[in-house]
Order: sequence, then structure tokens, then C-alpha cells
Amino acid sequence: MYLIKKSQVMDIAKELQKEYELYGPVIDKETKQTMFVKADDAAEIDLNAPIPAIPPKHVLFPNYERIMSYKYDRQNKKVDIKPDFDEKPKALFGLRSCDLTGVLCMDRFFLGQEFADEVYKNHRKNMFIVSNTCIAPFKQCFCVCTDSGPAAQEGYDLNLTDLGDQYLVEAGSDKGKKLAEKMGLAKADDSHKKAKENAVDKSISLFDSIATDNKAWISRVMNRVTTGLIDEKVWEYIGNQCIECGACSFVCPSCTCFNITDPITAPDEADRMRTWDSCSYEGYSRMAGGHNPRKPVEDRRSKRFFCKLSYSQAKKYLRPGCVGCGRCQWVCPGDIGLPNVVTYIRREIQK
Amino acid sequence: MSEINNLTIPEIVTIDEIKDEIVEVKTFYLSFDARKGGEAPKFTSGQFVMCTVFGAGEFAVSLPTCPENDRFHLTVRRVGKVTNALHELKPGDKIGIRGPFGNGFPFDEIKGKNVIYVAGGIGLIPLRSSIMRVMQNKDKFGRVLLFLGARTPQELMYADSIKEWKTAPGFETNITIDNPVPGWDGDVGFVHTLIKKKNIPIENTVAFVCGPPMMFNAVIKELTELGIGEENIISTLERHMKCGIGKCQHCAIGRTLVCTDGPVYTYRQIKTLGEQI
Repeated sequence: MYLIKKSQVMDIAKELQKEYELYGPVIDKETKQTMFVKADDAAEIDLNAPIPAIPPKHVLFPNYERIMSYKYDRQNKKVDIKPDFDEKPKALFGLRSCDLTGVLCMDRFFLGQEFADEVYKNHRKNMFIVSNTCIAPFKQCFCVCTDSGPAAQEGYDLNLTDLGDQYLVEAGSDKGKKLAEKMGLAKADDSHKKAKENAVDKSISLFDSIATDNKAWISRVMNRVTTGLIDEKVWEYIGNQCIECGACSFVCPSCTCFNITDPITAPDEADRMRTWDSCSYEGYSRMAGGHNPRKPVEDRRSKRFFCKLSYSQAKKYLRPGCVGCGRCQWVCPGDIGLPNVVTYIRREIQK
Repeated sequence: MSEINNLTIPEIVTIDEIKDEIVEVKTFYLSFDARKGGEAPKFTSGQFVMCTVFGAGEFAVSLPTCPENDRFHLTVRRVGKVTNALHELKPGDKIGIRGPFGNGFPFDEIKGKNVIYVAGGIGLIPLRSSIMRVMQNKDKFGRVLLFLGARTPQELMYADSIKEWKTAPGFETNITIDNPVPGWDGDVGFVHTLIKKKNIPIENTVAFVCGPPMMFNAVIKELTELGIGEENIISTLERHMKCGIGKCQHCAIGRTLVCTDGPVYTYRQIKTLGEQI
């Protein structure tokens, strides 16, 4: 554990910038929205910025990404394939604990199953993560319901906690410790650890008064979602609200579905592109020839919540798929963000 | 998996020969450029590969090749953009292959049992691999019955293989077409009606069923009514697939993924998935 003065905390970002591409929460000057983007100047990053509109998953799992390019010479019957994996060192600075939990979900899903995903592995290989404890919740948060905040428990290289005039800096890895030592940060003691605990406790107590938008008692509905003992009518109701825009999937820190296409870039040349996809789209499960086993929208909608809220899916993430950031509720035009769906299911259970 | 890693980047294969099977269905014989003797990677019947047509895209396709003594080939129906592009290719052209992926049909587990194969139309493609393997090891199995259905005699797949099966010792081959046509003296009617007419073994029997959903449901009903257990009815499912390694999630069905948990399921499993097939 180390300490750094508030006025100097951005020195960590500057230090990281020597070795890594720096990403962090930046408030857009025109829209006043927080975006988690590449910061050419470390001073653009604002550690007090509200939760970013889109989670940092696009740094590890870009929305539109080339995984290989190829040339095919029809005359001479030759094909030349060039894999294109991105292994540039990247630093995520000022990640909120919900988004860090999303990264952990992606790690376990992409790297921990039967096959490891090479594209993701290369993104993740040289990454430095600095998380930031939320000393107060935001309006749409419910990370206390999903056990993913307000302070990060694991997965960070360094974790920052605002203690008033200084930050407590905790190292979660050797890489993080080395950086703290290199910068010659002052050592913290037990009193600072206690101060962090108090700050986290205070943050949790503020959920009732500040985070008024959402509550999601997901433990109550996980059993029902897993066993499928939910009235078909509930899914139909939810399905009817869905306009199939896919926004919930794109803003979700743990949604990882992707599509693969081969757009042609020149005569006899093409790229293989990997793009975000959403299970709410009608074409998601449609096969060549037109057969679609998930044609009705409610069939597709229930699957997203199955993915977030069932034990069988939780086995892949080693936790529920929902990280409690509240973004889906924020963006959904149909009012069926995850907290609302949990509420509908609970109402159904209580009947 | 072999030393060649084709999980994400396809390996290049050459089309040696193209054979017309039936209307809009062709068989492509392939050799693997980077492997010794052009030989295919190790696979088992019931698995599938991801096939890239350069400049068009990638699709998942089941393997009709027998893992023992067979030339590696794919049989593909012209049905969408990518398969259309594949059908335009000529011998000597290159395509890409990733895989094989998936679990595959049981083989050692069903030794000593009677085996029934029921295939409708191009449902015969994935079953061919298993049928050929059982034929080559016939002494290890009980009765082997084939029920093949097609709309017309012209739409019967794998004429050469069927000729072999008809004369293979211990094989009972039954072929039916949907409607009577002049010149056809075999059975007429849907394939599930044929099962009832023949005296099929019930005890110690495994049934492999593959075909369009309508035919599948009718056959399952027939077989379960005759007393074959749900766990002894085996099928292979098809789904829209993008990665083949359990990441893109397009092939999710129930709590499983067809690419890594399937594509071969027992009917008992299919029933618990709670989704359309």
C-alpha cells in the first residue's frame, strides 16, 4: 500500500504513458458525456468523471476489428493470409470496479474455457489496469446487488481510493508494485487502510439516497431463470417492449457476442473483420436457407437474461454475468434494462 | 489438436476434385497444403469444420468423410452467399479450413449394439461418416439398418456409397421416395412410415436420426413409440456459427453451445434444451 498526493495522482498516468497507450475516462467538451477513450495527454483524464457512457470493453474487444487480411490470386491459385492481432501495450486508467468486473468476466469467458481466444489473448497480454474506488455511487448504479463494487477486489495492477487530500494506492500485482516502487511513492499504514474501509462503507450507505434509479435483487431470480420456471407471458411482455436495437448488448461490460464478415478491400483482397453482435437481432440465429430457430423476439430476449442471470452461464464467468453498472437500463428505449426485468420476474414470483 | 494451429486463422487447402451429387449439391475432395501428404487433421465422425471461401466468407459444415480409409471431402448444398461462391470454384482452387470442431458421434460406446440410421435428404451427409465407419467394423456391431428418404430418386445422395451399403454384408438398406414416379420400384412414402413396416430391433439399439425438422419430429415419434429410449436416439444439430470455438455464441441452444457441447446430442438432451431444433 502506498500514498500519493491528489495533485500528483496523474503522475501515475504520465509514467504509464511512457510504456503504454493510455486509456481513461475523458469528459467530452461538447456533450459533457464521459467516454473511456485513448488520451494523448494524460491531463484529459478525469478521475472524478461519472461512469463512462460505454464501458472500456472496446479496448480489449474492439467493436470493429480486423483479425486477418488475405490476398487470393485466382489465376495462379495462391492465397496469402496475414493474421492481424493487436498486442500493443495498453493501460486502462481509472477503471470503475463494475467495469473491471466486466473485464474479469471477459477474461474468464475468452481465456478460461475449452479454447482460448487468440485475438483477445493478444489484446490482454500487455495490459496495465488502474482501478478507481467509487467513494459515492452514481444515480443508475447497483453494483452492491451484484457483488462488483464499489471497490475492486481483484484483477487490478493498481487500485486508487480517494482519501480526501490524497489517494491510497494498492498494488494488486508485481507489475503494479514495481511501478509504485519505481515512482518512489510513500508507504501507507493501517490507518489508511482503515480510512479506505470507512470510505467504502460510506459509499455503500449512500446507495439508498443517491443510486435511486435501480435495484436488482438478482439472487432472488437466478434460480428461476436457471430452471426456466418463469411464465411464458413474462417473456412475451418483455419481448413486446424490445425494439431489437441491440443497445443493451453494446453498453454491457460483459456482453461478448461477435460476428465475423469478410469485406472485400481490393480486387482479390479481403479482410476478416470481427464486429460486435447482439442476440436481440433477428439475423443472429438465422441460418443460410432461412431457417431461424429463434424467430420470435421474446425467444431471443429471454436468452440475453439467461446469459446474465443463470447459474449455468455464471459457471463461465465464476459470478453472475451482470456487473451492476446500470447502463442497459440507461439506454433501453423499451424500459427493459436488466433491473426492470429482474423486477418483472420478482413480481411474477410473488404472485 | 495437431501442431498446426487453425483455431482462428484458417489453413489453406486445395480442391482436388469436384463431384456433382444431386441438384445444387456438390462434393469437394480436398488436400491440406501444409500437412504431410496433404492429409487431413485427425477427426472423428460427427465433427464439423469451418470452411472459408476467400472473398466471400466462412460457413460451418459437417464432415461426411469416414475417419478410416477415406479421402477427405465436404459435401455442400448451394444455399447462401458463401456456399454459392464455393460452388463456383474449380479443381485446383484454394479454400480455407478451420477445425475439426465439436464432439462427434459415439463409436466405441455403441459397439455390440444394433444400429439404425434414419436420414432425410441431405441429412445423410453427417451420417455418412458414421455409416462408413460402422461398415468397416461391421463385425463389432449387431444389425445395421439404413432408412434413407428423398423427395425424388434424383435427390438421393451418395449413389456410389448407397450401392456399397446395399451389398454390404449385414446391412439392411431401405430407401424411400416421397411420391411415386415411373421407373421407381422401391418404397414410396415418408421415411417414418417405412420404419413401422420393417421389423426393427428395439432392445440394445441405437438410432441416428438426421434430416429436416419436420421429418426429425415424425421419426422421433415413431421410434419412441416403438420403444427405443430417448437416450438411444442420437442426432446432430445445425446452427448459425461464426467461430466454432465457443466464443461468438451464435450457436447457443439452451445452456449449451452447439460448437463445443454439440453438434451431436441425444434426443433426451435435445428435449431439455427447451428450444426449437
